[in-house]
Amino acid sequence: MDFLAEGFRRAWGLLVAGDSEVYGIALLTLKVAVVATAISCAAGLPLGYFLATRRFWGRRAALTMVNTALAFPTVVVGLLLYGLLSRQGPLGSLGWLYTWQAIVVGDVLLALPIAAALSAAAIQGVDPRIRRTAETLGAGAWRTAWTVAREARFALAAVITAAFGQVVAEIGAAMIVGGNIRGSTRTLTTAVALYTAQGDFGLALALGLVLLLLALVVNIALQMLQGRGHA
Amino acid sequence: MLELRGVRHRYEGRVVVDLEQFSVPRTAAVAVVGHNGAGKSTLLRLLALLEAPTEGQIFWNGTAVPRRPAASLRRRVTLVEQRPVLFRGTVRENLEYGLRVREIAQAAANGIIADVVERLGLQPLLSRRRHELSDGEVQRVAVARALALRTDVLLLDEPASSADRAAAGALYRALAAERAARPFAVCVASHQLEDAYRWADDIRALADGRLSPVTPENLFRVELPVGDGVKSVRVGSIDIVVMTDRAGPAVVAVPPTDIFVSREPLPSSARNVFKGRVTGMAIEHRGAGVHVRADMGGVELVAAVTAEAARDLALTPGGPVVFSFKATAVQVF
Repeated sequence: MDFLAEGFRRAWGLLVAGDSEVYGIALLTLKVAVVATAISCAAGLPLGYFLATRRFWGRRAALTMVNTALAFPTVVVGLLLYGLLSRQGPLGSLGWLYTWQAIVVGDVLLALPIAAALSAAAIQGVDPRIRRTAETLGAGAWRTAWTVAREARFALAAVITAAFGQVVAEIGAAMIVGGNIRGSTRTLTTAVALYTAQGDFGLALALGLVLLLLALVVNIALQMLQGRGHA
Repeated sequence: MLELRGVRHRYEGRVVVDLEQFSVPRTAAVAVVGHNGAGKSTLLRLLALLEAPTEGQIFWNGTAVPRRPAASLRRRVTLVEQRPVLFRGTVRENLEYGLRVREIAQAAANGIIADVVERLGLQPLLSRRRHELSDGEVQRVAVARALALRTDVLLLDEPASSADRAAAGALYRALAAERAARPFAVCVASHQLEDAYRWADDIRALADGRLSPVTPENLFRVELPVGDGVKSVRVGSIDIVVMTDRAGPAVVAVPPTDIFVSREPLPSSARNVFKGRVTGMAIEHRGAGVHVRADMGGVELVAAVTAEAARDLALTPGGPVVFSFKATAVQVF
């Protein structure tokens, strides 16, 4: 117990003192998470709407694929991406391996299925009369989609939260394609893993607390956004 | 204006609408009657261009409508579903929705909304949200939302199903007033014959997704004399005995299934007995029933009998026939 208490004391000290390394890692994590969540939701939400509302050959197979991708192991995604981004890989010329951009790509690959599958489920949950009504009142494709999305706003906010949760807590791909380089690609999760392995439990705990705090703040912000408004 | 040709529409392999031809002419008031599950709602969704038929083609002013019609074409027709939904927001915002889609200037939109609000008595509801409205109120708002768009074709699916008698009357009056001000085509689906008979000038029956000749038959506009109980009304050259306390203009309907068919007059309690000649016979219900059409001295009546009864009576076109029905069988609308 002393060991744990000591860890918390150290964590608190680092946070209060405004330790530059801790805050640097936190800022990078926030940047990667926001960019990856934005990209995966920008692509995943329309994809989910499309899968939920359009009838086309192979739709069921596409939904199955997206749902299967939800369970994709993060280290496997990291491994595949490593193969693509490494110097001999097809995308090696980008020079992204061991950069924060590589972590973003990995996170997007992992969060995109979440955004697509969960938003498809959210849209399927909207009364189909809403879409028909928008259409019969003359709305075009975009306005119809927006009208349906407004009805599913709580569920869609939960989708964004889930995507952010996946991205901010991801470690496998970040470790493999980011390289956990100090001051460059070290995120909160990779740092926690490293410092725990090194026995610096206080620092690891401090970073873990920051991670929780980050998740909490983002969730509160999203809840505030979706909480305003009436039926 | 709007026409279905050779349309056969399926849901999961089951044919729900099967129409060789169905048109909604410009400025017509068409009523589609039929029981629940007859295919009325699907027919209206096809007419609203919300669904493309599995087989066949929809035409707009003689031009084939593509499977994914442009929004500009869809904007010329609108549908109010049987159980309409309102969007998130106030009643006013709902009324504005279609006008915003059409990019109608705010001042003009305000005028249009004021108009429909007055017609349908929605003023007290304007700032309310959907969960603060009854089913009947939602239906009225939905009709107003559609009327505000001033489309060429207005499709209404059981528009008065959640309304009480007074509200239903107000709704049909509003519709009539709107049509008087601006002629447009209306097609109403209803399982309540009363609604259809009251205002439509073209009544079509739908059964199992097909047009059926049964229901709209034996309808007559009459002038009911003042008085209680049994009274006689003139229909062409015959007098039909009805039982009603109503007076003035009305529509009377004799359900074909309530007519007894015989070769000679039978001793019975029926107050209405007419002798005539068979003018046509149509097989219905996959051969189990026959609709016998007969001329009763200038007035055509249709009776429904079983195929067996038609055989036993040896009914043939041109042959003699007697139709009998009770005064209480005559429906007054």
